[in-house]
Amino acid sequence: MPYTIRVVLILLFTTLFQYSNAQTRRTVNGNVTDSKTGETLIGASVKLSGSTPAGGITNAYGFYSLNVTDGNYEIAVSFIGYKTVVKKVEISKDMRLNFALEEDNQLDEVVISATKKNENVSSPQMGLQKINVREINNVPVLLGERDVLKTLQLLPGIKSAGEGNSGFYVRGGSTDQNLILLDEAPVYNASHLLGFFSTFNSDAIKDVSVYKGGMPAQYGGRLASVLDIKMNDGNRKEFTAEGGIGLISSRLKVEAPIVKDKGSFMVSARRTYMDAFFKLSSDSSINKNTLYFYDINAKANYQLDDKNTLYLSGYFGRDKLGLAKTFGFNWGNATVTLRWNHLYSNKLFSNTSLIYSNYNYVIQNFMEESNFEVNSSIKDFNLKQDFEYSLSNDHHLKFGLNVIHHTIAPGKLTADARSSVNETTYENRKGLESAIYVSDEWAVNERLNLVYGLRLSAFSLLGPGNFKTYDAAGNTTQIKAYGSGDFVKNYLNLEPRFSASYQMNTGSSLKGAYTRNIQNIHLMSNSTSTSPTDLYIMNSNNVKPEIADQVALGYFRNFNEDKYEFSAEIYYKWMQNQIEYRSGTDLRGNGNVEADLLYGDGRAYGIELFLKKRFGKFNGWIGYTYSRTERQFDAINEGKWFYAKQDRTHDLSLVGIYKAGPRWTFSSVFVYNTGNAVTYPSGKYQVNGRTAFYYKEKNGYRTPAYHRLDVSATLEGKPGKRLQSSWSFGIYNLYNRQNAFSIDFKDDPDDATRTQVTRTTLFGIIPSVTWNFKF
Amino acid sequence: MKSMNLKKYTRYVFVVIAVGTFSACKKVIDLKLDEAVPVIVIDGGISDLNENQVVKVSKTYNFTEPNKFNGVSKANIVLKADAKVLAVFVETDPGIYKSPTKFKGKPGVRYDLSVTSEGKTYEASSIMPARVILDALTFKTFNFFGGNKSYIVANFSDPAGIANQYRYILKTKGVVEEDAVSEDRFNDGNKVENVIFYELDDLVKGDSVHVEFQCVDRNVYRYFYSIGQNSGQGGPPVSPANPPSNFSNGALGVFNAHTSSSRTAVIK
Repeated sequence: MPYTIRVVLILLFTTLFQYSNAQTRRTVNGNVTDSKTGETLIGASVKLSGSTPAGGITNAYGFYSLNVTDGNYEIAVSFIGYKTVVKKVEISKDMRLNFALEEDNQLDEVVISATKKNENVSSPQMGLQKINVREINNVPVLLGERDVLKTLQLLPGIKSAGEGNSGFYVRGGSTDQNLILLDEAPVYNASHLLGFFSTFNSDAIKDVSVYKGGMPAQYGGRLASVLDIKMNDGNRKEFTAEGGIGLISSRLKVEAPIVKDKGSFMVSARRTYMDAFFKLSSDSSINKNTLYFYDINAKANYQLDDKNTLYLSGYFGRDKLGLAKTFGFNWGNATVTLRWNHLYSNKLFSNTSLIYSNYNYVIQNFMEESNFEVNSSIKDFNLKQDFEYSLSNDHHLKFGLNVIHHTIAPGKLTADARSSVNETTYENRKGLESAIYVSDEWAVNERLNLVYGLRLSAFSLLGPGNFKTYDAAGNTTQIKAYGSGDFVKNYLNLEPRFSASYQMNTGSSLKGAYTRNIQNIHLMSNSTSTSPTDLYIMNSNNVKPEIADQVALGYFRNFNEDKYEFSAEIYYKWMQNQIEYRSGTDLRGNGNVEADLLYGDGRAYGIELFLKKRFGKFNGWIGYTYSRTERQFDAINEGKWFYAKQDRTHDLSLVGIYKAGPRWTFSSVFVYNTGNAVTYPSGKYQVNGRTAFYYKEKNGYRTPAYHRLDVSATLEGKPGKRLQSSWSFGIYNLYNRQNAFSIDFKDDPDDATRTQVTRTTLFGIIPSVTWNFKF
Repeated sequence: MKSMNLKKYTRYVFVVIAVGTFSACKKVIDLKLDEAVPVIVIDGGISDLNENQVVKVSKTYNFTEPNKFNGVSKANIVLKADAKVLAVFVETDPGIYKSPTKFKGKPGVRYDLSVTSEGKTYEASSIMPARVILDALTFKTFNFFGGNKSYIVANFSDPAGIANQYRYILKTKGVVEEDAVSEDRFNDGNKVENVIFYELDDLVKGDSVHVEFQCVDRNVYRYFYSIGQNSGQGGPPVSPANPPSNFSNGALGVFNAHTSSSRTAVIK
């Protein structure tokens, strides 16, 4: 896109030039927090009215910065769910103004969106969905385990990867094409228990944003979406604890100040205890099994002075499975993020992050004659430097750099001397992923807003190791040895990002965006669901970076005093260097996995409609998506385009929440979607006297349509007590729809002359109850 | 035998989670499937036993029809060994073609099979691997979720330094109940005790279990591995596809030059 790049550069330089000549202005900046907990508020609106009106919203750290000329102003700070603060100020010098907002517990504001009331219309950002954690608490879920990722799947353009599965598809992308960030640390496997639960404990979460397109230039590395999750900082005012006891898990969160109003910490933990029921059995083949997961989120922050704040946050989670004394399997993520917020000047805000992320799994076989242990991991060290510079009220610059060092250990197999298994170690792979970016948010005039930027991303595959090159048939053509630190292969890509909004009136706008995304790290998975043993590989001499270009257009409208929000977005996406597998590929312990890969193109398009009632006793939303996503590989389906497995024509979600009084809240979710594209047999034949199936084309069939209705009710305890408690009752799949989890084809066990089709349903009607407390 | 056990374990883990914890439910349903244009299937093998070698030629048929061997007659089948014609097969039953004389295949020899039917020729080649014999069959009982399960174990010594692929065909009462493959990626050169995951618990005292143990080449291994993946033998189901045939011209099936050794175990 050389033309686009040129345009972006010209825009950037003209604006910079223009503002170096601008007249002297005063800077007003500061933090916006919650008065009760001291938590910083993300996305709060700050408005100055006076001789040079100005407005903005707080960033991810609750910080804002505005430029005005000298004079008398009225400053209004608002955040939905909080009482607006209005203050008169005389500005004659640079000023720092911090605001603490008081929560507004009015009955009609049950569901709160973490944006100013018409931010969705006025901002040039599109393809963005935000979820407030309080929304999550009221939406019914499987087994009463509230879950950010499952609630996200109720929004248009975001689809569930399967029944009860926390994996998701965004605008035709696969699950590994989502960049999932927890306090900036990439999380490689965001699910527990083979996908039934997400790794995100909603107690510990403050803010959830998902970008389906139009990603700002500070994000990069994945093709389809960015899911940016921020943890709670911890209560700076007083000690609080809350938790819940559910059917399969319990949770506890503790928060307290370290030094009042200066620093605080938060620790949140949960553990499931499904295997506790196994212990009740007298059968030793059951009571010796283990099956559970836990996770711990912890965060601490300390404000050194007005200009410096430190944050340390971490996540540790693990799943454990054990079959008596024969087999053990555990996996989990660990992330640690150390951040330093620093104000270089009134206009220049900086955040420096050092991030560590690790995902690993261990498989153990304890059988004497074939005992072994497999260890595999992916480990990142990551440095991020982000700057925000308020050039003027019309221009907000963001720029920075990011360097990630990846180490992938595909597998180490160890066994003792008695075992028939030989010790084997696959070579570790190392890579360096780096990027620099710049972007500018430009308020051209009252109606037109632009965000435009560039991201330059580089990827280097590093030695040491022996690197093979394969031809199109998968045969090795070259093996080359590299030393430690040698560059095996380098890739450099420019990613232009552009979005614009044109506000037609206060309540409606048109938006457009073009985004290019690059992905340098790829998840190997040829199963229909993801597994904890799925392996990541990096770009190499065989694997090229995945590229996606997306254009999107949208119409956004709020009406009835912002009570209702409506949006319609259409998008078209081109994808290059997509990956599929030859048939019969074994991904387990495969040191030559790249020989089994096929490369092709993808395309996806669709329209997403969203209508939300934001306040009132009754609120909720309707989301509808019509979409297509297809792939084309020369070696698959005779080179013809085929539907990707995540292709679903229609996708509908209805969410309703009704606050019946001060204590009772009722809610309900209905979902309907067209079945996934799948491969079923179109005939059969015999090999060695056994039935085999003939597949005419790839993904030429559809699974039966999926639909489901869930309901839940929450009863809050009597208000005014020190210990506040609530009961949540839920029913998943109320009308017991037998949705297909899988469809299998096999010989009839009772009549060997026939074949039959079997449908497996995972979840029929399932009730749940949870008790939550807070003090 | 890591790869084979591991996939079976993963399958058990899924079963434990899906069935043990939640309320999974299975039901036979009606599903409308396409009626595809029939495609030729060639199932041929050359063994190192002194026998009339057999090639079966058939066509695919609709899913709803009763299972049958849908034989194709009047095919012209020529077998070459190291590029010299070894046998011209003759049809003995519809779709069943046999070599006119008994002969033994030899390890290390490249066999080429050419099948001409309805004006199209399909060719495949397979190199017979070195012979490894099945030393013994033993039994093993696992204490899996909710009960004991018994299986047959194939015992053999894997030759060191070369890549070997094995195929196990388990028969009870003359019916093929399990057809699985393994390789020596993780136990090259070792004494191997490989569990064949066919549950024996329905069998009664006195029943016999027959296991044919084949050494197969890499392409044949991959063909049967892929069939196993399609039928969900490999834990989380893989999106199915036709297994990679070694025949040209779009024929389904496989041509397998293999060594063969068999053992029978009796349930006590």
